[in-house]
Amino acid sequence: MSMTAPLPDADVIIIGCGPSGMAAAVTLAEAGRSVIVLDMQPAPGGQIFRSLEANLCDTSPAGQSLLAALGPAYRAGTDLIRRFRACAEIDYRPQTTVWEVRPDGTVGWLQGMNAGYVRGRQVLLAHGAMERPVPFPGWTLPGVMTAGAVQTLLKAGHLKPSGRIVLAGTGPLLLLLANQLHQLGVKPALVGRTDRLSDSVRASRHLRPDGLLPLVKGLGWLGRLKLAGVKSVTGLENLAAHGAQNVESVSFTAGGKRQTLPCDLLIVHDGIVPAIDIPNAAGLRLQWDGPNASWRPATTPDGLGASTLPPELSAGPCVLRVTGDARSIGGADAAIAHGKVAAQAILAELDHGAGPSGDALRAVDKALSVRPFLDAAFPPGLSQNLPDDDTIVCRCEELTAGDLRAKIRSGFRNMDALRGESRCGMGPCQGRSCMVTAARLLQDETSAAGCPPTFRGRPPIRPVPLGAVATLSGLDPRATIRLTLEDKPENASEDTVNAPAE
Amino acid sequence: MFSDLATLTDAVTLSVDGQPVKARAGETVAACLLRAGVPYNRLTPVSGARRLPYCMIGHCFECLVEIDGIGNRQACLTLVREGMKVRRQAGAPPALEPSVP
Repeated sequence: MSMTAPLPDADVIIIGCGPSGMAAAVTLAEAGRSVIVLDMQPAPGGQIFRSLEANLCDTSPAGQSLLAALGPAYRAGTDLIRRFRACAEIDYRPQTTVWEVRPDGTVGWLQGMNAGYVRGRQVLLAHGAMERPVPFPGWTLPGVMTAGAVQTLLKAGHLKPSGRIVLAGTGPLLLLLANQLHQLGVKPALVGRTDRLSDSVRASRHLRPDGLLPLVKGLGWLGRLKLAGVKSVTGLENLAAHGAQNVESVSFTAGGKRQTLPCDLLIVHDGIVPAIDIPNAAGLRLQWDGPNASWRPATTPDGLGASTLPPELSAGPCVLRVTGDARSIGGADAAIAHGKVAAQAILAELDHGAGPSGDALRAVDKALSVRPFLDAAFPPGLSQNLPDDDTIVCRCEELTAGDLRAKIRSGFRNMDALRGESRCGMGPCQGRSCMVTAARLLQDETSAAGCPPTFRGRPPIRPVPLGAVATLSGLDPRATIRLTLEDKPENASEDTVNAPAE
Repeated sequence: MFSDLATLTDAVTLSVDGQPVKARAGETVAACLLRAGVPYNRLTPVSGARRLPYCMIGHCFECLVEIDGIGNRQACLTLVREGMKVRRQAGAPPALEPSVP
């Protein structure tokens, strides 16, 4: 068997085809580099520009009113998608999930029933963000969905919510969605915000000239909702959804008063956070963003990550960079700007450029200048307090905060021990929904401070059908041997206990 | 819980638990099931509780269904296809059918 390293399949592999991934891919392809783009969705655009190409082609009255409701920020992706499609050099692979990334540039992929590995000389993680997990009583009931989910159904399903709708939470997306629904003739029964006027007042000291436009836009949304007569409260606390088989009502406290409303669909949103499933499983160092109560990969300004794996487990230097909302939440403009910066840094690494230009770096700073204001005006609300003992934390394994607290108190005082003992994080979602709450519970119970610990991510981080594993392509024989050794127990003389049958 | 922005044109037909269901060409199985108004996509393997899609972008895995004979497929990431066979999942399937002596 040959032990030489397999040749790279492309100069750069980009994971994710949203604003940052597309911007980077176009920059790299225009500089003559070979690029593979892997993306879960069927068309380019990411979450923000989801189904934009298809919706632009829809000339029906319903299609036009949807485009009008989604607004100019949605259509703003048209040009970037067109440029991305025009680059014949880009090897674009839609409907492809990534289930492993290694610091040396090896990427495990799955498309339909085919799976394999591809290797890039450089890898750019542009996989985006997720909505902050918000455990509250009743959040697993059918009829509770996130704001992002409802927007996805609008963009890609041409479905609008009906019945008695309550929106609860905080952040620009919640207000944007409420406006989009109103424009489509759907009047929510309530928009309940966890943020307060005092948050906005405190936030105003962070306002910069570049951040005024988003502020005006936000005030416009609030004004239109008020004009439309949509009920709204601020300072919402202690949200709960009630119902036997699905949501029938919601209750909350606002202004010191407990209220209950009948409800068919509860739309929740508590801001968005970088998706760390891939960086965590790739062994990249993470840091804790206190004000945003979320992890993000530790990176240089041009996106280079740092591997935490011991040198014997990683072949060569880390070639992983992170860009866009996966690196730091900033929205589409910031993602496009940083995608270019990351691409220029990669070109320099491939001996083909001088590194990020001053203009490109300044564009990132400009696009991010409104973030301190937004972070202060919309602090995490629904997830601010740790859940009560009866509230489910791990949706997959149906474990409550009380279950986890009991395990922690009985001695399972690190994340992997807690996972192994309780199964928290071992279900299909692999901890995406529960990890941050489990980590905060662990810190709370053990009076620990600093960056909350994570579960150790292990491949595959997304399910791979056995039939696809059987025909895995692109295996690296050296890595196969290394990984096999790695997975052996550390202590060769480990006791084997044969428990007697009961 | 959800209704169409406009009447379905360009529809494909798939089978959901043996019943024909119309879907918009190019949409996901999860969107199709929500339009059809199914009360749940799956019953959980732990308690048998009902679940519908929660995040719609591939993170929460609440939308898992059986598609063309393969279980635990993410309905929010799978596009509808004419003739596709979708089955909702009822808790943990038995590893083996009980053998008849």
